[in-house]
Amino acid sequence: MELNLYTSAAIVLGFSFLVVGLDEYVAKPWRKARWEKRAASGDKEAQEMLRIAQSAHVVDE
Amino acid sequence: MAINYDVPEDKRALYWLGDKLIEWRNPVMVVVLLVTGYFAYCAMQLQLVTSFGDLLPQTHEFVKVHNKYSGTFGGANNIVVMLQVKEGTIFTKDNLTKIFKMTEGMDTVYGVNHNQVESIGHRTVRHLRVAAGGTLRAEPVMLRAPQSQDEVEEIRRIVHNAENVYGLIVSLDDKSALIRANFIEGRLDYKRIFDEVNTKVVAPFEDANAKIFVAGEPRLYGWVYRYAGDVFWILVVTYCIEWVLRWMYFHDWRGSLRPTLTGLIAAFWGMGFIHIIGLALDPLMLVMPFLITARAVSHAIQMHDRYYEEFEKCGWNKRRAIVASFAELFVPTFSGVITDALGVLVIILVPVVMLQKLAITASWWILAITVSEMLLNPIVYFYLKAPEPELVVLRERGWFRKQIERFTHVLMSSAGRAVTLGGWTIAVLVGLYFMRGLTIGDPTAASPLLFTNSPYNVSHTQIQESFGGVEPLIVVSEGHDKDAMKDPQTLRTMEKFQRTLERDPAIGYSFSLADIIRAVNRVFHELEPKWAVIPDSWTDIGGLFFIFFSGSPPTETAKYVDPSYTTAHVTFFAKNHQGDNIRRIIARCRTFIAENPMDKATFRLAGGLIGVLAAANEELVRNDILMNFLGFFTIWIILLFTYRSFSCGLYLLGPLIASNIIVNAYMAVNGIGVNIHTLPLVTVGVGFGIDYGLYIVSRIIEEIRIKGDLVESTREALVTSGKAVTFTAVTMIVSTAFWTSSHIRFNAEMGLLLAIWMGISYVGSQTLLPILILTFKPKFIMKEAHYTQTQAQAAAAKRA
Repeated sequence: MELNLYTSAAIVLGFSFLVVGLDEYVAKPWRKARWEKRAASGDKEAQEMLRIAQSAHVVDE
Repeated sequence: MAINYDVPEDKRALYWLGDKLIEWRNPVMVVVLLVTGYFAYCAMQLQLVTSFGDLLPQTHEFVKVHNKYSGTFGGANNIVVMLQVKEGTIFTKDNLTKIFKMTEGMDTVYGVNHNQVESIGHRTVRHLRVAAGGTLRAEPVMLRAPQSQDEVEEIRRIVHNAENVYGLIVSLDDKSALIRANFIEGRLDYKRIFDEVNTKVVAPFEDANAKIFVAGEPRLYGWVYRYAGDVFWILVVTYCIEWVLRWMYFHDWRGSLRPTLTGLIAAFWGMGFIHIIGLALDPLMLVMPFLITARAVSHAIQMHDRYYEEFEKCGWNKRRAIVASFAELFVPTFSGVITDALGVLVIILVPVVMLQKLAITASWWILAITVSEMLLNPIVYFYLKAPEPELVVLRERGWFRKQIERFTHVLMSSAGRAVTLGGWTIAVLVGLYFMRGLTIGDPTAASPLLFTNSPYNVSHTQIQESFGGVEPLIVVSEGHDKDAMKDPQTLRTMEKFQRTLERDPAIGYSFSLADIIRAVNRVFHELEPKWAVIPDSWTDIGGLFFIFFSGSPPTETAKYVDPSYTTAHVTFFAKNHQGDNIRRIIARCRTFIAENPMDKATFRLAGGLIGVLAAANEELVRNDILMNFLGFFTIWIILLFTYRSFSCGLYLLGPLIASNIIVNAYMAVNGIGVNIHTLPLVTVGVGFGIDYGLYIVSRIIEEIRIKGDLVESTREALVTSGKAVTFTAVTMIVSTAFWTSSHIRFNAEMGLLLAIWMGISYVGSQTLLPILILTFKPKFIMKEAHYTQTQAQAAAAKRA
């Protein structure tokens, strides 16, 4: 299959949206759940990370 | 919002600028988007074009001769088509008809010089025939496709008795015939020529018994255009891999997106500018824009990494983190961009138009990174939602960071330092040994632009094997006055020149006016071999020329001699264009010319493919060392201003010089010569390689101001900036190495070479540079150790 400028642009754009969507709606919730599970099972590193993250007050003006 | 928090005093202006960019984000964004939109529009108009003339050093004496005479005596733009039969010979009705029709087809290909087509089926290839009454006539070998076996036999007889045909355009084993066509330089449309040769000359005539091979520069560039479409696949696959890599590194889609924006904006500015100044993209140089974009993305990764780091340090305050990362990375980023741009700009010194165009466009493109990376960076971050703190924490404590910490620990141990210094010393010594084999020009017989097993190189090899040589070297015999070419001494010297140079193993055969006069004289004397000599008087020679040329129009005879008999040529057909062979052939030509002066004429070097390649190689030798010196010197000057230190350049350039030696050794061992195509890429590699070191040294200086200890500062620099440098090196190497999948061997090898360049210079910046700094404790870093103390004293004094 031969690609040209427009088909290439369409593929990379589509791929970018796919990554953004997967990250926001699949990877992040999964990662958070995994860390919470590890923290609940007594993993010190996970507990420390969650503590820092939860205590962080983000200033996003 | 004013800067009402503590910032380093010497960077207050940068913090202020970063903050103001956020404050004025809307007007700045609108202006940049409008300009980018215009450049994007222009970029869409850009075309892929290669101009053969642009590859030549136009100021070189050989190229001037080539330009002056290529229109009449033929140039470097020859297409050679060979019809080869498996069974029998070409002397059958069917095969000769094919040759005749193929020649007709070739004569109709766009841009062909109709007077410079050579084939037994073309009107310009003639033989002498004794007509009724004892007169001699020069008639075309074939006036039409043969109608009977008798006509076939007659053509065979003519070919076997014609010195200008047998062995030159019909092989000595009668199995192959050549059609050689020269193209007008101003009408070279490689794509069209490629397609028309396929449809008019190749496809209709190839069958089980007859194979057709096509070679020559226009054909080569036709293949290059055909393969240029690879770039889209490479672009798509590299883009996707890069996005995934960045996502894995940052654990966040913003980390994938932000560097893409930088690369995209810089690409629009770069490509738009190329179109605005009336240039085009060269398919052979596509790896360069790719590399520049990868470089832009690398700077953006550094910035993004620092933004996350500062986000945690600044108590999760987004705006402060943006401003801090902008101000702290301003010096290494800006210095990096400037060294990249000026490093590329020195290529302008090589008097080859394509390289000069490349120098201007690539420098601009790189400078555009300052807009996309530095001007827009704080604004884009401000518009994007702040990253989740857990992502930042996760990144700072992840697997990658732990590996870097482990490596740094080993590197900075006593054994690590000894191994590093010892390993680099051995690598440089081995590199110096092998780089002696580095050649100027092409080290291979086939075209280095394509792979050895490509259809083009297969054809090229087949033709070379059947005819001994197809690459012309045209030496012009320029008369001082008209009729100079009728002078016996001139013609004898030309003949002597042929016999002398034919002893060179790289010369297949040669042709000149002397061959014609000898053949005509022999025919005039009833084919007695003893009369195949050049006559002693002007009048006899003039008479023989009259016999041969009287039936031909001046447009046909001009390819042998101009109408006033002032200027002619000696053409040697070389077996290949290997750099060493070209150098030796040209040296032999110069020796012969110096030892054999002519009374009525002067030999002038040199046209044809071999002539212009000789010119290019001579310019490369002249400019290679100068360019490398200027490339390094420019970087040293920028470093002098950036760090206000003479020795800083030595520390940063040391690993780069070592990398350069190793890469040159790799080129020598793998048969990659320094030519017009490879020269700029090596120079660009030097410019880009410095960036890794800049980020690490800047971070060491930053840390030593806080910690006051060189070892701890170096350790911190390696696990923070070094981590980002490691990641950017990986992305750069991946994006350039993927070019190895290109069908264009030049792009594939250059992609690999640049990946190696990036890899070695990265290893140098991550190992040799810090160890050199730890070993020699340079003053430009150590003086910063007392920065905090000095600042505190100054503040106290101010308060007092």
